[in-house]
Amino acid sequence: MNSSLGIRHIVQFVLFVALQILLMDSLVLFSTGFCFIYIAFLLFLPINMNRVLLLFLGFVAGFSVDIFYDTMGIHAAASVLLAYLRPFILNLLTPRDGYDTNDSVNIHVMGWRWFLAYAMTLILVHHAAVFILEIFSLSGLWSTVPKILLSVLFTGVVMVILQLLFFSLKRANR
Amino acid sequence: MRNLFAFIYRFRAFLIFVMLEALCIFLIVRYNTYQGAAVFNSANTYVGQVLEFQSGVTNYFRLASINTTLAQENAVLRKELMDYRLGEQMDSTARLDTTLYVPSDSARAYPFILHAGRVINNSVRRTNNYLTLAIGSQDGVKPGMGVISPDGAVGRVKTVSKRYSTVTSLLHSQLLISAKIKKDNTFGTIKWTGGDYRTALLDYIPLHVKPEQGDTVVTSGYNTVFPEGIMVGTISAVEKEADRSFYTIRVKLSVDFAQLSYVYVVESTRRPEQDSLELEAGIQPNE
Repeated sequence: MNSSLGIRHIVQFVLFVALQILLMDSLVLFSTGFCFIYIAFLLFLPINMNRVLLLFLGFVAGFSVDIFYDTMGIHAAASVLLAYLRPFILNLLTPRDGYDTNDSVNIHVMGWRWFLAYAMTLILVHHAAVFILEIFSLSGLWSTVPKILLSVLFTGVVMVILQLLFFSLKRANR
Repeated sequence: MRNLFAFIYRFRAFLIFVMLEALCIFLIVRYNTYQGAAVFNSANTYVGQVLEFQSGVTNYFRLASINTTLAQENAVLRKELMDYRLGEQMDSTARLDTTLYVPSDSARAYPFILHAGRVINNSVRRTNNYLTLAIGSQDGVKPGMGVISPDGAVGRVKTVSKRYSTVTSLLHSQLLISAKIKKDNTFGTIKWTGGDYRTALLDYIPLHVKPEQGDTVVTSGYNTVFPEGIMVGTISAVEKEADRSFYTIRVKLSVDFAQLSYVYVVESTRRPEQDSLELEAGIQPNE
C-alpha cells in the first residue's frame, strides 16, 4: 500500500464516476434522498496525500459529474471544498500514535468509529454545499435540510456497503 | 521578495483552494444566465455518446410504454386526418376554382416545423432539471427553440452541438412559459418552484377573472417559442391571498416528465422576423 497515486485510484475514479452517472442518477429515495457516490473516490485516496494534488483531483471529479448533470460548477465547488477540508478532518481524527505507514481509509483497518466520523463529516459538508449552491439563495433553506440529511445517510450507507464488499482486510495488508 | 514566495509556498493549498472555488463560482454564475452557452455540458459529443449508450440500454425496459404513447399519438393523428378528408368530401367549395380565396392571416400559414428527437438524459427531482436530446444542429435544432411532447409543452433548447442538444425543462426554477387559460384567454406565466414534478404555478392571473378547478391551461403563442394552444395542464387549485393582486393557481402538468421518451423540437419559420421586429420596437424578449 504505497501512498502515491496508483493505477488502482485511477480505476476507482472511473468506476465511481461511471456508477454515479449511469446508476445513481436514476436512484433517488422519496424524491429527497440523493446518492453522490463519486466522492468515495476522494475519500478513499491515500491518507498522507499531497494537498495541492488532492484539490485538483477534487476539481476534476466534481467537474466530470457536472458535465453529465448539467450543473456547471456546483459539484466541482463542493468537491474542492471537500478536498480542502479532508486533511484537517484527518488531522483531527489522528489516532493516539499517529497514522501508520500501513494505514489507509479502510473500515477494517481504522475501525468503525473512525471511518464513520471521517466519512459522515465530509459527506455532510459536500452535500450541504451541493444543495445550497443548487438553490443559490437562502430562501428555500428549510426545505433542503431534510434533503441534505437523507442524502448524507444514503451516501454514507452506500459507502459503508462498498467498504465491506470491496475493501477486505487481506487486501489492505498486502 | 523571498519572504513573499515563502509565504505563497506555505499557503499554496489555501490559495489554490480559493482559486478553484472562484473558478467554480464563475462557472455557476455564467451557466445560470439563461442563454449562456457552455462547451462542457451534456450536449458535448463524447458526453452525448455515453448518455446515448445508457439510454440505449434502459430504453429496452420501457419499450412497451413508448410504443403505447406512439400508437396513441398515431391514433389521434389518424382521426384528425380522417376528419379533414371527410370535411373535404362534404365541402364542395374545393371544386369551385373560380372562387377567390384570400388567406386572412398569413402568419397562420405554416409557421412551425417539428423535429422529432429521442430523450437520452432526463431528470425530474433536482431544483433545476435538464433533458438531453439525440438531435443537434445538423438536424436543424437551434438554441431558444421550444420543445413539446405529444402531451404538451416540455421546455426550451439551451445549447446545441452537432448531434446533441440540451433542453431546459419546464421543471427549471428559471424557465417561464407564457400561457393562458383556454376558457377566457386570460394570459399569465407558468413557472415551476421545485418540489412535486407534476404541479407548477400559474402566475399573474388578475383577480377579476374566475378561474376554476379543471380549466385547461395552454401556451399563449405570444412569443415564437411555442405555437399557440399547446397543452400545459389543468388547474388543480385556485387560491386568493390577501396581500396579492393576482391569484395563486396550481396547475397539474399534462406532461409526465418522468416518462418522456420522444419529443418534438418546434422550429418557427417566422421567428427571426418577429424577434427582430419586436427588438426594433424596443420590446424586451421575454421567456
